[in-house]
Amino acid sequence: MAPAVTGAQPSATREQAVHRKLMSFGEAESLATPLWEERDTSVRAIASHLASLWDASGLPDEAGGARVTEKGLPHARASVLNLIVTVVDGEAADRVVRTMEGLGVRHPSRAIVLVPEQHGAAAPLDARISTHCHDASGGGDRVCYEEVVLTVRGEAAEHLNGVVAPLLIHDLPTHIWWPGDPPFADPVFDQLVEMGDRLLVDSADFSDLLGGLRRLASLRRRSGVGDLSWERLAWWQELTAQFFDAPRFRRYLPNLSRLRIRYAVASPASSRSDEAEEVAPGTPAPMAQPLLYAGWIATRLGWRRHETVEPLRDGAFALRLEGRHEMVQLDVQPVVTDEVRPGDLISVRLRSLGETGAAEFIIDREDDWGTVATNADGMTALLRRVRMQSPREHELLSAQLTMDVVNPVYEDALRAAAILLASSREAEG
Amino acid sequence: MTTRAPDSATQTAPVEEARTPPSTSGIRPNPLREGLRLERMAEPCTMVICGATGDLTERKLAPALYNTLLGGFLPPEFTVVGFARRELSDEEFRAHLREGINKHSRNKPVTEAIWDSFARGIEYHRGDFDDPAAYVRLAKRLERIDRDRGTAGNRLFYLAVPPSLYPEIVNQLDRAGLAASGGRRRTGSTRGWTRVIVEKPFGYDLGSARTLNHELGEVFDEDQVFRIDHYLGKETVQNLAVFRFGNGLFEPIWNRRYIDSVQITVAETVGVEGRGEFYDATGALRDIVQGHALQLMAMFAMDPPVEFHAEDLRDEKLKVLRGVKPMSPAEVAANTVRGQYVSGWVEGEKIASYRDQPNVAPGSQTETFAALKLSIDSWRWAGVPFYIRTGKALPSRVTEIAVTFKQAPLALFARAGVPQIDANVLAIRVQPDEGILLRFGAKVPGQGLQIRTVNMDFRYGSSFAVDSPDAYETLLLDAMVGDASLFTRDDEAERAWEILDPILAAWKDEAGGPLHFYGAGTWGPPAADELLERDGRAWRRP
Repeated sequence: MAPAVTGAQPSATREQAVHRKLMSFGEAESLATPLWEERDTSVRAIASHLASLWDASGLPDEAGGARVTEKGLPHARASVLNLIVTVVDGEAADRVVRTMEGLGVRHPSRAIVLVPEQHGAAAPLDARISTHCHDASGGGDRVCYEEVVLTVRGEAAEHLNGVVAPLLIHDLPTHIWWPGDPPFADPVFDQLVEMGDRLLVDSADFSDLLGGLRRLASLRRRSGVGDLSWERLAWWQELTAQFFDAPRFRRYLPNLSRLRIRYAVASPASSRSDEAEEVAPGTPAPMAQPLLYAGWIATRLGWRRHETVEPLRDGAFALRLEGRHEMVQLDVQPVVTDEVRPGDLISVRLRSLGETGAAEFIIDREDDWGTVATNADGMTALLRRVRMQSPREHELLSAQLTMDVVNPVYEDALRAAAILLASSREAEG
Repeated sequence: MTTRAPDSATQTAPVEEARTPPSTSGIRPNPLREGLRLERMAEPCTMVICGATGDLTERKLAPALYNTLLGGFLPPEFTVVGFARRELSDEEFRAHLREGINKHSRNKPVTEAIWDSFARGIEYHRGDFDDPAAYVRLAKRLERIDRDRGTAGNRLFYLAVPPSLYPEIVNQLDRAGLAASGGRRRTGSTRGWTRVIVEKPFGYDLGSARTLNHELGEVFDEDQVFRIDHYLGKETVQNLAVFRFGNGLFEPIWNRRYIDSVQITVAETVGVEGRGEFYDATGALRDIVQGHALQLMAMFAMDPPVEFHAEDLRDEKLKVLRGVKPMSPAEVAANTVRGQYVSGWVEGEKIASYRDQPNVAPGSQTETFAALKLSIDSWRWAGVPFYIRTGKALPSRVTEIAVTFKQAPLALFARAGVPQIDANVLAIRVQPDEGILLRFGAKVPGQGLQIRTVNMDFRYGSSFAVDSPDAYETLLLDAMVGDASLFTRDDEAERAWEILDPILAAWKDEAGGPLHFYGAGTWGPPAADELLERDGRAWRRP
């Protein structure tokens, strides 16, 4: 069960800890300038302060004063997007602080960090506004954004959209990042999704992966959806696509007959459990990436579900799918390792045994390096080494923030991932 | 692990082979590319650098290839063959490239593991450019590479040599059967494309440009030839098209009805610094106006292309250049100003007179500054003057296009004692601070009516803080993909010379007006200011 936004679970002391963390957010960062802080304030006061922030002065410098061009003129700021982040527990607070600091120059134009608190008798609204400036590459330009940390207490915490809406820069795409397991059933969560143009989550955070994938897939009718686990696959997708950029290898695509995906899990798989995908403590859903990857290939190549070969057990399963010309065997297997982040892919093998000949396309990861190889046409294997670092969360987030609000390729993969996971389970009973 | 095909599969394979068309255009696009960040990918190919031991390879090509590789844009099969006279081993050539990357790349030093696997695809081919046997061996080598590395017969020849060597090299390539593309190849694999990249200058005048184009055209089709001018690979030049055609706001006012005049400035602060010999034989008109300034003007003024494809785009640019009519000597005298700098101070440093520079003739008549008033005789631009100026040792380094709009038709506020309000200006800055500036009038707050001109200054850098690729990275990749949009076509280059030749001729025999002198660190000779003052206008101070 996902923690509710305003659930009864968090204790007052824990909420205070979250509050402290976020209120000191940015102080370690040399470029952040705390400009204004007020306890027991009002939305109107915050809005009017935000309005005066850039007024007449252009971008603020370290001292909060005017920032001008070398010709003595204030900069006009080109705003790109709003980001709303909701923080419901200490772990999320840590993540948000770390990630937002790392966002650097690829940034939202205005970030609103919401801390809903059900407990404590303190005033309903505390706010802190700071600006973050980073030197952009070359030209001496600085890129700035402002951040508002809002602690919302009591009844107001049940109407977060009303608090946030007046504080957004108007007419810009609004992204909502939910670090942690999203409470899909919570009405407050629903309100926020309604307000934004795009919801960003990490499907690896889902405590119930199948339920989460399904919810996310149905959500896309109302809002764009983005997924940090999908972003983690970007380089794997690129490498996979490169195999088939060469026309002579592209003809193998319709005849793929096997896809094997291996992914990392942190500790030895526990004995058989009902929540079989929960093999790695610390990462609720390490199967998110292999499923999305398989869902991506399957939807791009038009594969359809056929039958379960090996039902899901300890994070492993095998399915037979119906390709355009061939039956395709899909194997998903966990590998216990501490060298790679749990949930990340370790190896992908695509095999084609169609009428055009035999071929194998391989991506193997070891530490921060990958080996990419093609064995086809009986020719010398093409082999090369590539860098394969696991991207950090702020890199994933900034990459997702630059994406279009709607991403049909991801949405297709998401639906397929849910179907593949459900199929792997169906045979259990 | 190698997978062998079962017999039945290998037997059916040739049937499929025979049906496959010789060009790649008939093959369906890669379905896995859809929605990925890199939507375009170079096909596997071999790049042959002729003159591979030279400066350009070390400074520009090696870093560009490496950064393209890091970005994940190079196909794994990609192979480099360095072709030059010097006696080098493969290893030594690889070390040469590597050194270039370590010195000049925006990502440096090289990462060992990535370099090692890339270096396996780098070879050196020693040979004299006039030795037919060297090309025969090259052809054999390329076929071997096609077999071993799967480069599919795709070849990109980069002529990193002085233009005087082009005819020899292209003829030798032709004789060795290396110039033809696809089905027209006489020897070896019939598949694959052949493209050739040549560096600017594209000739010295109309005659030499025609000769050069003719020599290339004898051997290559025009769609195989990529004339590289790094200026066109800059992000801003591409942005200019997006600004104009991606926004509904600007295109309707982009014509003689709303625009009063246009100024294009390409200003450098440096003198000729070590390039005296080259520059004294070239001058500002050939160096900057022929390629950069006229191309900027064409991008600025062209009609929207039917599609955003190379041929459509270049057709439209050519139409602009055809609208610029060559001048008579009297018109040259009236509409152009040439200048040469004498000693002065630029950015706090003293610069010696041009004529005192090494390898510059003591009585040199070469212009280091040029100002032109051009008109484009087209429906869209008739009557709108285009003022172009470029020079060395000017006060600041800036490239911009500034559009001055017409005044409001009625001086509504004149009765309230407000004098004529300044015209609106839209300045598109190409470098150094890429951005857009809009000048308009605004009421000063308070009782009474006072109007001030304000600047709205937008910088790309303050909203998109990402590393732009170097122009060579963009252009090399374009050539591999086969997109010639940012390359100059033969007729464009020739038309530019048709415009400039009469000016050069008139300047030479003094009919085109005298050579003016200007102090380094000033915005050119006073005559350049008079050129605009006569029209009741003034240069912008960028």
